[in-house]
Amino acid sequence: MKRRNFVQSVALSSIGAPLILKNFNFGAVSKELFETSKSAEDRVLVLVRLNGGNDGLSTLFPLDSYDNLALQRSNIIIPENQLLNITTTNAFHPSMTGMQNMFLDGKLGIIQNVGYPEQNRSHFRSMDIWSTGLMSPTASTGWLGRHMDDLYPGFPDNYPNATYPDPFAISMGYEVSATCQGLLANFSLTINDPFDTFNLQETATLNDGTYYGSHMEYLATMIAQTNDYGARVNAAANAGNTLSTMYDANNELAVQLRYVAQMISGGLQTKIYIVNINGFDTHNAQVVQGSPTTGNHANLLANVSNAIAAFQDDLNLLGIEQRVAGITFSEFGRQIASNASEGTDHGDAAPLFMFGTCISSGIIGPNPVISDQIVDQAGIPMQIDFRDVYASILKDWFEADPTTIQSMFEHTVNFIPVLDACNLGITEHDAAADIMVYPNPCAESTTVRFTCMNEKVSVQVRDISGKLMIDVCSKTLTAGNHDILIETNDLASGTYMLSVFKQSGNFTKRFIKVKNI
Amino acid sequence: MIPEEHVEEPISLSLTPYTGTWTKAEAAHLLRRTMFGPTLQQIQQAVTDGMNATVASLLTLPTTNPPLTYSPDEAVAAFGTTWVTSVYPSSNQSVTDNARGNSLGAWMMERCNQQTVSIQEKMCLFWNNHFGVEGSSDARAIYNLHNLYRQNCLGDFRQLVKDITIEPMMLIFLNGTTNNAFSPNENYARELLELFSVGKGLQVGPGDYSTYTETDIFESAKILTGWVVEELFSSTAPSPVANFYAILHDANNKTLSNYFANAVISNNGAAEYEDYINVIFQQPDMAKHICRKLYRWFVNYDLTAAVESTVIADMAATLEANNFVIQPVMDELLKSEHFYDMSVRGAIIKNPIEHMFSMLNATSSAPNFSLASNYEIYLQIFAFNMVLGMHYFRPPSVGGWTAYYQTPSYSKLWANSSYIKLRFDLSTYLTLTTGIASGTNNFKIDALGFVNGLSLPSSAPAVIDDMADVFTPKGLSAANKLTLKFILTNGQPDFEWTLQYTDYQADPGNITLSNPIRQRVEFVLYRLFQMPEFQTI
Repeated sequence: MKRRNFVQSVALSSIGAPLILKNFNFGAVSKELFETSKSAEDRVLVLVRLNGGNDGLSTLFPLDSYDNLALQRSNIIIPENQLLNITTTNAFHPSMTGMQNMFLDGKLGIIQNVGYPEQNRSHFRSMDIWSTGLMSPTASTGWLGRHMDDLYPGFPDNYPNATYPDPFAISMGYEVSATCQGLLANFSLTINDPFDTFNLQETATLNDGTYYGSHMEYLATMIAQTNDYGARVNAAANAGNTLSTMYDANNELAVQLRYVAQMISGGLQTKIYIVNINGFDTHNAQVVQGSPTTGNHANLLANVSNAIAAFQDDLNLLGIEQRVAGITFSEFGRQIASNASEGTDHGDAAPLFMFGTCISSGIIGPNPVISDQIVDQAGIPMQIDFRDVYASILKDWFEADPTTIQSMFEHTVNFIPVLDACNLGITEHDAAADIMVYPNPCAESTTVRFTCMNEKVSVQVRDISGKLMIDVCSKTLTAGNHDILIETNDLASGTYMLSVFKQSGNFTKRFIKVKNI
Repeated sequence: MIPEEHVEEPISLSLTPYTGTWTKAEAAHLLRRTMFGPTLQQIQQAVTDGMNATVASLLTLPTTNPPLTYSPDEAVAAFGTTWVTSVYPSSNQSVTDNARGNSLGAWMMERCNQQTVSIQEKMCLFWNNHFGVEGSSDARAIYNLHNLYRQNCLGDFRQLVKDITIEPMMLIFLNGTTNNAFSPNENYARELLELFSVGKGLQVGPGDYSTYTETDIFESAKILTGWVVEELFSSTAPSPVANFYAILHDANNKTLSNYFANAVISNNGAAEYEDYINVIFQQPDMAKHICRKLYRWFVNYDLTAAVESTVIADMAATLEANNFVIQPVMDELLKSEHFYDMSVRGAIIKNPIEHMFSMLNATSSAPNFSLASNYEIYLQIFAFNMVLGMHYFRPPSVGGWTAYYQTPSYSKLWANSSYIKLRFDLSTYLTLTTGIASGTNNFKIDALGFVNGLSLPSSAPAVIDDMADVFTPKGLSAANKLTLKFILTNGQPDFEWTLQYTDYQADPGNITLSNPIRQRVEFVLYRLFQMPEFQTI
């Protein structure tokens, strides 16, 4: 649908212009870079909400089903030669160069076919399910809210305090996040602009025990907290910095993520940030008729991919990359077959993306299978339950106790590995926390550099499906740095995984073999 | 950060007529829930008239005039005349359309600002939330949809659903215009069941939502095929139209699920959608969904099991008994014991439009300049509401604004830390600055006019008491009243205010006397508008 500016002639910022002294000073503050995080306490999770139901099949293309996909959605299919290959059987939408690079750098993970049993195709109900992590229609707490209730019982009474001066969660924009709804209160503070100071009038009010009374108490508490937390947020924003030049000021998601980087780098101890991008309900005009690489969905994916890539670049430049992990979520995928309006209707499962240096940077789960028959209303069947992704993040990233995690969900939790090397790297000696593969991409050969103790080391190259391609070596090495040359002449062009197995830590890096020169 | 408390259950869950005391508190409660911000005079009149006569006035719909051309960008309709049935120019339609869109937005705010004692504007916003249409097309199509709400706001709900189904703006919004026999688009079919009519029940099996199934969506999308919107932005037709093309219509039988008694809808061309909607409205629980929404809009967000089994069931029975005409349901509700129960007074945090116009309307503040200046000011008011979370013609989703369905926070969502700051900024802007500018004209709250209309403006305590009655649902504490009186009198004894006011009244044109009065009242309003008590109705 054409989105025309309804009141183009009105400057929307006019509401604040005469009243608020804006305090923008991006980059003006120099500061010491943050120390790399060693503990779960310092870790930050960023949730990126793709609101409306993202079309997974136009985001991550299963190349082994491309022909059938083209049959099912002939009016929106993107020509295969314009897709961005990330493996021999997977490709991104052409708008997603930023996330393609992240994937090749090992900073992007993909979990395929994520959903939940008996998919509900209502936006509202399904977003509730994704926010609460519970199927019960009477559930009212969010999955992160339950986690925080466990850690900070009684909130909001007596918060903020000396131990916890900062908001536990920040929802960028004007909406609290249902994911952070706790028993007594929502843990997320809404922040539209961390530089805009808060100094709201506080009033004493009484709760008379009615609905009205609960509103009075809510408003008084919220105003007081807004002032207290707002001052902390503002101080952090002013102390913080952003360094990436990749942010686009016209990309709303990038603006939100830039603020998040600014606040993290300024030392704010907030553990959860929620950012949001609307518009994924692409029933019509998902692509421009006759020009399927352009249109609403292409623009949305470009915004998502560019914003996340800029954010990751920024975290890297700020030296805080290991403290931050992110995931995307959306209420459902869309149906396999397109409709006649160059759009797609509400469907079932879809891929979920994770980003950061510490997340599992491969593809978890097989490609969805697309039939050559159009089945009315068919979606992609769920294979991995999103609630297991959440539970695994709580376990691996926030180091919550598995028994406690289980108690936060209705279903039997099945943990999946959402983190890899960096998880160990955080607790082990930093120099041993990584391996390098260079050159990458490579042609005839490449070299892996790593550090080991005096221990047995195996080096292997596998293809993206896990099949062993080269057993490079398996022997005891002396303590120190080692460079091992790997002949790649015989490998077909494509993406491969290089793994170093040793007692002091296993590491896997992705590399690309290009055609021999 | 939302504290959720267990709250007192209502004492009365009955829709039998309220017979308790009828004072300013009850009258103001009725007017605040059905209008955007009653004045003291309107409250006093309602006390005098009594409940029944006041409800009768509220349920009478005034005739209103359509939006007018005020911008030189409008290429067809003459200045000061309406454009709602005007063709578009044959080139540069977007310039004219932008002028029309601005006129529509400004006019809408004027309607809210100049309300008489009628429920009409509150009902228009209700339907705008219920059908959740993002108005983004030919401005005439947006107006026509709105006018449908306006004309039928207390009328036959079944007929409204039928009319909406083939209204061009809705056909555009939910892709009905591209829904055809060769490739059905189920967008409207889904929302019609999930949100607009029976509502979605609990999911009891795969694709089974206990009031309808995924099969119903699939089948009903076919029922609705064949409608095409034409004449958008036309330079020859006075309005966009929906035309039915039999060749695009799926003529096969469509079989609905057991929730619709396995009804078979057979081909009936352009009237088939009506057959289908008649079937939907036969479902036993049909009336409840819309009654829940009316309840949340006018009474309280909390649909407890007790409310569900009493108030909602009774409202639904009334709706069914009256063949789905809304007016009798509202008449019964607004006169009921439950509506006046103390437990539901002040239970709703104002939405941005209620917030805006509770400041303007209750102080009788309305721009009174030239047509163009007034519209420009109203357009800025429109934009303020948009920034505060309520773009009148564009709810954030087809489900409407989250405050009317998102558990457990509901109307608290209007006043989170971001929005409350903007609310305070806005009320500051309308009281302490020179206000909204249009050329050399400035519009802000008319503090002098407001205080002059109070019951005893020369008495500082009486001024504060009146303000509490006008602006807060349950009054203000003695401490808060003292705070406000201290501001009004600038910390002087009360008689100093009386002297100052009496001097001003003797020579009202003397700005050295009126300015201090105006400023003190502005300071009080500024402070009052930041109190939590002001944020609810």
